[in-house]
Amino acid sequence: MENLLHIISNIFIVVGTFFILIGVIAIFKFKDFFSRILSTSKIDTVGAITILSGLAIRHGISWFSAKTILLMILILIINPLKSHTLLRYAVISGHKNKKAKGNKEVAK
Amino acid sequence: MTTTIMSFWLFCNIFVLFQKKLLSMILWLFLSSIIASLGFLFLGSPDVAMAEATASAFVTIIFIVCFENFFGIKNLQNFIEEENSKTRENIFKKIILPAFVVLCTFALFMNFLPQAPQDTYLKNLYILRASTDVGGQNVVGAIYLGYRVYDTIFEALLLLIAVVAVVHLSHFDGVYKKDGKQSEVKNNAISLFTVRIVAPITVLFGIYLIANGAITAGGGFQGGLAVASFFICRFLIFDIYDIPIKKVNKLEDTIFVAVVIMASLMVFHGFFGEIPPNYLPIAQNIYLFIMNLLIGIKVACGFTILLYRYVAIERN
Amino acid sequence: MSLFYMSLLEIILWVILLFAIVCVIRVIKGPTIWDRVLGFSIISSKLVLIIAIFSSMRNTAYLLDLAIIYTLFGFLGEIFLITFLSKNVKERG
Repeated sequence: MENLLHIISNIFIVVGTFFILIGVIAIFKFKDFFSRILSTSKIDTVGAITILSGLAIRHGISWFSAKTILLMILILIINPLKSHTLLRYAVISGHKNKKAKGNKEVAK
Repeated sequence: MTTTIMSFWLFCNIFVLFQKKLLSMILWLFLSSIIASLGFLFLGSPDVAMAEATASAFVTIIFIVCFENFFGIKNLQNFIEEENSKTRENIFKKIILPAFVVLCTFALFMNFLPQAPQDTYLKNLYILRASTDVGGQNVVGAIYLGYRVYDTIFEALLLLIAVVAVVHLSHFDGVYKKDGKQSEVKNNAISLFTVRIVAPITVLFGIYLIANGAITAGGGFQGGLAVASFFICRFLIFDIYDIPIKKVNKLEDTIFVAVVIMASLMVFHGFFGEIPPNYLPIAQNIYLFIMNLLIGIKVACGFTILLYRYVAIERN
Repeated sequence: MSLFYMSLLEIILWVILLFAIVCVIRVIKGPTIWDRVLGFSIISSKLVLIIAIFSSMRNTAYLLDLAIIYTLFGFLGEIFLITFLSKNVKERG
């Protein structure tokens, strides 16, 4: 039984690191702030949740898994909000995409 | 693992010095303090790591408010604007990359250095006798509340003196002016909702840290900082400054006196020698809890006063 | 089986630390201040994962308190920083 739990948790953790790898690649691939934040924030949240659920499965029913579930809920609430406020205040303060602005000028 | 984290931390600290813009400097300071807390964890002291992690947010917030106060919004524009990219590249190539390489090589060779023989007499003595002398599983808590009570008393006195100095040096008539603007969070429904969720969780977590100070890696200072963060949330949501600072200051003074009385009672009661070590084990637990609670309330009062004083000066 | 599991967790600890170090390049290089804050938030979320995996390796539940404190206080400090930025930053283009 423990071996099976270990195998399942290993699969979860490896999948989570794969998600995080995609998020790290996405920071460097895109050239605008908006596309970066669109890609990385979601993938980062998903990777964190999968890794933490893998850890919770590994420890069975215990205080450790209860605390990891609390941490998962907190990350699920907080992490999207961070990216939302970042994006919102970037737009309010007047950050614009340079390429898009150039295209508009060409169109005008 | 620890050597790489500590070299990473040193790299961040070097980078703080070479920043030209003020805001990126604050950001790098935040980053370096967070990485320092991770390094403390890997070096084997979760108490210090928790204190660093809680203090980092407060330090950055007070820095932000102070910079806003000193430079003013119009002058800040000069600091914020993007500098030339050439100078940045020069600094990056000439100074920082070699420094990073040197640090990494140093961290690699740290593992092969011969280690000096360590004197472990005090460590063994503390670990053996802490649970019977002072009580509780947390040996660090036993040391700073039992064996070294005078150190904690003087640290509490230092914070008290800092708060008194801030209150008396900043002349303030006690009338808070409100400008017409609403706070930024209040306009945004989603962030308002989430800050309202996060605020009670932080306060509950601070109370949990204070109450379980003898068992887990926590204690008065960390829990007090977590409780004081509630007032940051209140400031973010409602934009209110109507805290009676003089009353809070008096509360802090009385609690400091209570800390001194409690510690001296326990010292005269006797930790060592004459009274057998298992004398009143329940009283030891109650003593640890009360000391953690008093220190937590004192730290929370001090940091709320500091925060509100800076914010009030900034607004007027 | 347990030995294989421990070794895998250690490998993943190293991999996530490497990701966090790589993300610093975005904080150094980012053309605007917003990119830097984005890189910072991603680094902090990775550090939380490092603490969680470390505490799972040691099988100590009390270290997870540190991870919870990290998330809560990183959120508060970052929100303060972002609101301060939105007041003061005015970009040219």
